[in-house]
Amino acid sequence: MADPIVSLRKIGKSFPGVRALSDVSFDIANGELHAICGENGAGKSTLMKILSGVICDYDGELHVSGQKVQFQGTRDAEAASISIIHQELNLVEQLSVAANIFLGRELRNSIGLRSDAAMESAAKKILVELETDIDPRALAGSLRVGDQQLVEIAKALSLNSQILIMDEPTSALTESEVARLYRVIAKLRQRGATILYISHKMDEVFQLSNRITVLRDGCFILTENTSDTNANEITKWMVGREIESLDLGGRSAPGDVLLEVKNLSMAWPGHARGYRLKDVSFHLRRGEVLGIAGLMGAGRTELMECLFGAAEHTVQGTLLLDGKPYSPNHPKEACNAGIGLVTEDRKRLGIFPAMNVKQNISICSLDSTLLAGLLSSKLEQEASSSMVGNLQVKTASLESAITSLSGGNQQKCIVGRWLLTQPKILLLDDPTRGVDVGAKSELYRLINKLCQDGLGVIVTSSELPELLTLSDRILVLSEGRLTAEFRREDATQEKIMRAATQ
Amino acid sequence: MNQRSGFLAKLGIRPNEIALILAIVAIIGITLGADANRSYWFQWETNSIEIGRQTALLGIFALGAMMVIVSGGIDLSSGSMIAFSGTVIACSMIYLQYGPLGSLLFPVVVDSAGKSIATDMAHAGLFVQSLVVIVSIAMGLTSGFFVGTLHAWLITSIRLPPFVATLSTLVGLRSMARILCEYTTSTYQNSKKAQVNIDHPFFTWLRDSKHVYLWVAVFFVLAALTWVILSRTVLGRHIYALGGNEQAAKLSGIRTDRLKWFAYVFGAMTASLASVFYLANEGVCAPVNQGRGHELNAIAAAVVGGCSLQGGIGTVTGTFLGALFLRIVIDSVSKIIKSGADIWEGLIVGIVVVLAVTFSQLQQLRGSGRRLFPGALGVCAIITLSLFAALIAMSTWGEKQAAMTMIGVFVVLFVYGFTEKQKARG
Amino acid sequence: MHSLSTHFRVPGRWLSGMLLLATLTFAGCSEKKEDSTVGNAANASSNAKRRIVFVVNTDDPFWDACREGLKEGERHFKLADSGLSASMEVPDGSIKGQIDRLRQLASQSDLAGVALSAISADNPSIAEELENFQKKGIKVITVDGDLLRTKYRANRKYYIGTDNETAGEILGKAAAGILASRNKTAGGYAQFAGYTDNDNARSRMDGFKRGVGTAFIEKDRISDETDRTRAQENVRNALSNHPDLVALVGIWAYNAPAIARTVESAGVKKNMTVVTFDAQEAAIQEMEKGNIDAMLVQNPFDMGFQAVRLLSAMVLNNDSVEKEMFPNTGTDADIYTTGLRLVVPNSGSPLKAEDFDAKVVEFMKLDDFKKWLTKYNLKSS
Repeated sequence: MADPIVSLRKIGKSFPGVRALSDVSFDIANGELHAICGENGAGKSTLMKILSGVICDYDGELHVSGQKVQFQGTRDAEAASISIIHQELNLVEQLSVAANIFLGRELRNSIGLRSDAAMESAAKKILVELETDIDPRALAGSLRVGDQQLVEIAKALSLNSQILIMDEPTSALTESEVARLYRVIAKLRQRGATILYISHKMDEVFQLSNRITVLRDGCFILTENTSDTNANEITKWMVGREIESLDLGGRSAPGDVLLEVKNLSMAWPGHARGYRLKDVSFHLRRGEVLGIAGLMGAGRTELMECLFGAAEHTVQGTLLLDGKPYSPNHPKEACNAGIGLVTEDRKRLGIFPAMNVKQNISICSLDSTLLAGLLSSKLEQEASSSMVGNLQVKTASLESAITSLSGGNQQKCIVGRWLLTQPKILLLDDPTRGVDVGAKSELYRLINKLCQDGLGVIVTSSELPELLTLSDRILVLSEGRLTAEFRREDATQEKIMRAATQ
Repeated sequence: MNQRSGFLAKLGIRPNEIALILAIVAIIGITLGADANRSYWFQWETNSIEIGRQTALLGIFALGAMMVIVSGGIDLSSGSMIAFSGTVIACSMIYLQYGPLGSLLFPVVVDSAGKSIATDMAHAGLFVQSLVVIVSIAMGLTSGFFVGTLHAWLITSIRLPPFVATLSTLVGLRSMARILCEYTTSTYQNSKKAQVNIDHPFFTWLRDSKHVYLWVAVFFVLAALTWVILSRTVLGRHIYALGGNEQAAKLSGIRTDRLKWFAYVFGAMTASLASVFYLANEGVCAPVNQGRGHELNAIAAAVVGGCSLQGGIGTVTGTFLGALFLRIVIDSVSKIIKSGADIWEGLIVGIVVVLAVTFSQLQQLRGSGRRLFPGALGVCAIITLSLFAALIAMSTWGEKQAAMTMIGVFVVLFVYGFTEKQKARG
Repeated sequence: MHSLSTHFRVPGRWLSGMLLLATLTFAGCSEKKEDSTVGNAANASSNAKRRIVFVVNTDDPFWDACREGLKEGERHFKLADSGLSASMEVPDGSIKGQIDRLRQLASQSDLAGVALSAISADNPSIAEELENFQKKGIKVITVDGDLLRTKYRANRKYYIGTDNETAGEILGKAAAGILASRNKTAGGYAQFAGYTDNDNARSRMDGFKRGVGTAFIEKDRISDETDRTRAQENVRNALSNHPDLVALVGIWAYNAPAIARTVESAGVKKNMTVVTFDAQEAAIQEMEKGNIDAMLVQNPFDMGFQAVRLLSAMVLNNDSVEKEMFPNTGTDADIYTTGLRLVVPNSGSPLKAEDFDAKVVEFMKLDDFKKWLTKYNLKSS
């Protein structure tokens, strides 16, 4: 093999409480299309951020064109001819296409004033090269997602980047836009560009790439020539994660049907796909844990929001709760109907940072702490402290600031908040995100116990072993559609991953 | 300090409120020392009455401002709301007296000489007088309810940012008040007037300094009510939750839109209540400039009292003390600087607000390791502060001293900034 | 509870400490300020204990001349020798501002006399405050802006100022004279004031209406709420709304430059007669440029001077001064009229001194008027 254009040597990176990457070493050959595959949380994004200079402090060494580099920012990476096209596009929507392409490197005229005309003509040249008729004077925000992505690519081209990182570039594109993207990629490769292509869509990876590298749990697994392998093998490598051994003990047989969902759909205006969820149907029984698997953007959170009356867009379909029609328009109605939601993003959507532990626990069930219409601090104290006791929340006192607690204990407070409302169904959206390992198994036991008490639980997770440990049944979502359902006995990570990447 | 704050904390008084109390005591002490007349000692009664009057006047709608701020919003319109509600009250009184109902309430009577005379407000019976004033004030409060509703609708349904929604009513309401005033006076009194004198005996009675206790009592009762709402009801807790994290509040099954409705209605209605006292205080309904700019005083009182403009943080006690503190500072400035105090007033209130808010966050600022004077911005800020110090020194002290002050302040701050920089490096 | 107090203890101490520091610094500054005033104002006697305070309505150059008169009076009548001082208070121009200022004075113990230019003639709050002063033995007069005499005559003892209605009438006559010399026998005019329902303004406008005669029709009275930008806008709007205007009348001091500038920029000066009240610096310049045809000038200097003379005499129970200033009995026994001046650009003006009663109004050319201003180091009157 020719000299590698990029070499990674023992790259490692830790975030507080998480080891995102450890000892990753592999090479990228000049002019190849190198696909990088892995589950959510495998470390792909962190690695790309290191390569593109977004993350500057890491362990190990990075070599570009044979020289050791240590980027101090994205500009250094750009100078080394590396550009990244983010999954969530990075355009300033209020500026024109040309202004975005040259943002931070604006062209000037002879007397030092910004020259829009020069930038527009330069932008036009690049855009024509990309077979598109995007007007360089149009506002970036007025473009379709696919066109915005081309603008990002144009930006990379205007930098004359030799190495392009594409982070799940097709996730928001229509089929014709995907085809156009493929043509653009082919053209870039003719010019000798090296492309790092991140995707979990097997068909894409196998159609485009020369070689595939698989990451799992922050570790390098292997690099294979695409021609020497197949989709099944790669999927297996992606999910070959150790299952934490945790015996949750026996569970009694599930009871009656609590919740029935028929043909649930949710619109997604302004997006190529047109829907967030399409024709999702399932049921949940009393005393059952229903797991929902799916990759980022598959619609897990949206499904939870629909069930909780917090959907942003129009919802269609039928919901039956205890056999009665149920169509919540506001979370309050869901609460009254006996449903609780532990949200995915605890910091943004869960805790009240200005309130203490006691107040964070009692916020949903204040009606039961009233004496003569006024809050009784004694009753509130009793309710909160019962939850702190039952759930074994580690806190200095009930009056401690909620932000002084660890992630796992904050999560227990939020679960306790909902348990105080005595719900029939508890929705847990990725409940162990950002929670350390010890606290995770405590949460698993807690969920198991709740089920034994007759609650119905729906849980999503970005970690498959977690779902396999917890769930009685597992549903798999892919791009808003229900693609598979497994009983726990039948489910394996490979099967789930295959259904999720369909 | 330690033990005492523990004890006061049990009473529900926060340390920043203790600081405010101390600051108030300190200012009274300093004023006693610096005021050659010792007015606070020899005329304590007059002075307490005036400070009480002014504090009530500001505090009543500062409580409303606080409610809105705690809920995570802002109400810029309260000054105009005072003018609008005052105009509604004044126009209601004109309507009741001169409108179609006037002949019922104020019949033309024949006096002993056989001459027909129209009864006026002063000679109407107590029943009619009370009826007029009660109905009119009720109209004023109702107008507050509707304006608050408008705010809540603009913010929750039209999705305007609170700043924009209340900015539009800040200008719009005052204009509307003037239109209403001109319409009512020209229709029912046959002469278009830009302001209406309030000669109703109730307002004259209320204005009397002997009755200022009532102003203070209304303020206290409202403060107590607000305290109960915020500290002892589900509604209050939900308002803190809404201000602290709106998304989380909604996903906890809280009807955030209804809460905002309550907060903005509360804000506007306290301004309506304040307008009753504004009418009494000034003896006139002047939609052009009544309460103009006073919304900022109310917001300042809330902020000095510990409210966070990000929402979710703020107490009734704090706002109460904030309003009292601001009024005492203003009064003290006039006591110490005998003539031309008002040119200093704004400067001193501005400094006090910045200090009060900055130093409640200083710990955070230091904890984050941020520098007070970073880079070129820091150098320019040091120069700005030195120039301001010199300007103040020049007008109070003399030009030579001003130059020395400027150099002194510059050197001190520059040395501070330099050590800060060294520390940040090391 | 415990964690709460630990969380706040340090910033709390900081806060109180810094506030104390701030107030101390402030007190330090202001004490020095006080020293300097005493040093400047009363070199002869350091025991100036009781104050005569002149509360005006709002910050305006008109009061600069009055302040000079106040100072001159303080010197001339040797107030320091009797333990008195005189000063001026300038509130923010709102009704509340003036009421607050009066209440603030009432809560101080060294007040001997108050002269007030009432911002609103029939405001009960202002009237009551004056009555409270009198109850405490503080002497009260009004200057320039009187209270409504029919209702509040007893709330102040005397009024010093201009007879606004007469002033308006004189300016009306002057305007009629100028219009006649320009062969204008009919047409409309508009009057501009801060508040058109203000008592002074109304008197002046009513007087003008009478003086100019019935041949000319009053098209509009427009208020600008003391907003100078609005004042200019009002003139522009009047010019476009009423094409038949032949004269513009500036009632409040700042209306004069507002009218003159707008008329000049609109290029209609040739066909427009501009007459105004008071002589702001800017108005004098505009008259020099030929944009103002006549100014009726009050004498704020004399107002300040006479106010000090009267109040100090009242405080010291010197009856002879009161008798000298108020010889009349009957309805106008409480009014002292300061002189009026009619200022015209130069001898080319169609107006002549002999057309006006010299006892009521002093006829002056702009040059003479400016000489008088220079004498007292004044820029405006």
